[in-house]
Amino acid sequence: MALTLMKGSEAIAEAAIRAGARYFFGYPITPQTEIPEYMSARMPEVDGCFLQAESEVAAINMVYGAAGTGARVITSSSSPGVSLKQEGISYCAGAMVPAVIINVMRGGPGLGNIQASQGDYFQGVKGGGNGDYHLLTFAPASVQEAIDLMMIAYDKAEKYRIPVLFLADGIIAQMMEPVELPEMVDYKIDPEQKPWACTGWKPGDDPAKRGIINSIYIDTESLAVHNDELQAMYKEVVANEQMWEEFNCENADYIITAFGTVARIAKSAITELKAQGINVGLVRPITVWPFPYDAIRKVVDQPSVKAVLDVELNEGQMLEDVKLAINGTKEVDFFGHCGSQMPTTAEIVTKILSMKEGK
Amino acid sequence: MKKVKVLIGNYGSGKSELALNFAMQAAARGERTELIDLDMVNTYFRLTERGKMVEQKEIRLVSPNFACSGIETLSLPAEVQSAFVLDWDSVIFDVGGDDVGSTALGRYHQDFLELPEGSLEVLNVVNIRRPLASTAEKIHRLQEGMQAHSRLQITGMINNTNLATMTTEQELWDGYELLQQVADATGIPVAYTTGKKEFLDAFLARNPDPKYVGKPIAIDVYMHRDWDSYIEYGLNTTDPRKEMY
Repeated sequence: MALTLMKGSEAIAEAAIRAGARYFFGYPITPQTEIPEYMSARMPEVDGCFLQAESEVAAINMVYGAAGTGARVITSSSSPGVSLKQEGISYCAGAMVPAVIINVMRGGPGLGNIQASQGDYFQGVKGGGNGDYHLLTFAPASVQEAIDLMMIAYDKAEKYRIPVLFLADGIIAQMMEPVELPEMVDYKIDPEQKPWACTGWKPGDDPAKRGIINSIYIDTESLAVHNDELQAMYKEVVANEQMWEEFNCENADYIITAFGTVARIAKSAITELKAQGINVGLVRPITVWPFPYDAIRKVVDQPSVKAVLDVELNEGQMLEDVKLAINGTKEVDFFGHCGSQMPTTAEIVTKILSMKEGK
Repeated sequence: MKKVKVLIGNYGSGKSELALNFAMQAAARGERTELIDLDMVNTYFRLTERGKMVEQKEIRLVSPNFACSGIETLSLPAEVQSAFVLDWDSVIFDVGGDDVGSTALGRYHQDFLELPEGSLEVLNVVNIRRPLASTAEKIHRLQEGMQAHSRLQITGMINNTNLATMTTEQELWDGYELLQQVADATGIPVAYTTGKKEFLDAFLARNPDPKYVGKPIAIDVYMHRDWDSYIEYGLNTTDPRKEMY
């Protein structure tokens, strides 16, 4: 199949359409405005709907409504815009509405800047909105991986009735890479498959087939029952959906943990260190929720591993999960930048060398 | 006579790359050269990020006010007028992508009209490996839109088909075959075929019809937006630690 030269934003948008998304609601914000721009041209070609909402709050509530009909729906934004969406995301999670939400992370807090960042890890995986909920959260490290994850995102979202979040840093959205696009999925709303969906119930129809999308449970007992259902579903997701990549981990002296584009930089550092005779491995979570705790623990438990280095484009957020995974059995060090300055290969190499010298 | 090249085209088709190459080549021939960054759309991957390199070659660079990778709102500086008023041998306009980007040219409609006949080339840079320029119909539609927005007639197309670091001569060949159809349908000729020397030579060795090749021009790569460059420089080219060129 012929390769296409695509920018990450365009690829994410095209992949969503090929995965069956026919509704986009959003509001522009750098560095992901190319997603709505692409959608505005592409959605009409597939009889889809592109709507630029009046705000991020409106957009996520449109997602809530449209996804409630069983359609495949997507919204995209960047960090400050995703902060605005949090109430609606919590509603979608509470009502168990499957949808895809893209966060192309930029520097923060506040307006920050428009360069790449990984500063929204906490917001994405520790509950940015209210209540006991989780999002199935993907952290792609290349344009191709963003496409591939999009092609499974709706199936997972619908299987568990969980919203899916893409945590992509600005580089993923702005970089151009040759990619292979998958075939178009022929998605149609099937009320048998989605008995919960609102598909046009009329008085006189079977009352059992009446879909109600809702996240309010006034009496304590029914809210408890609903939350138990949610938690049981999250357990299933944790048991079945963890994804990660291991690179050069066997008998490694040191293990680097990193997600997204920083993991790709770490790989270059690992190659350089190998040339210097230092064996370093990488564990890269692809799902950051559910977090691959066991996978990291297993790699780090190898007797050869002396210590762990977590590298992020923030001040150390995933670091907390890495420490939970390792549970004090080995030393965990951190290297990162904020202000959107990318960690470089040389910086990671230097950091590992200093750990080796015990500095 | 002053030669003015206006580069418009699909977003990501290689306009800034070609603008830099045309300017560097003109300067190398000893021409008094001005390069105008007229991209009012994209905040990343700007010509202006290569400002130092350009100025070292004594090319005058005009950039939108505040242009750098961290600023979202651009405005056109008065100095753009110098392209028309001052006595240059070569002026190259690097314009924003798609019909939206070419809108910035409309404001200079009268100035372009007043250029002597034969002075102006309006060139549509095409990379058919980009999703919105992958068929003759899409190229045609985009071309019409850009002409309407820019208030200029496109005088020629540039076959700049590439797959970044995965390019082979087949990219240029496929671009050549598709642009034949567009040229025959629209009457707009292929004015140039551009690519790295190795691919351009291999393409020409397959004896394409010169009518649809135009003038072949080998280019160097100055604008990087691939993974290896990010490892080296990051997305943030305003980062003082990592100044490129």
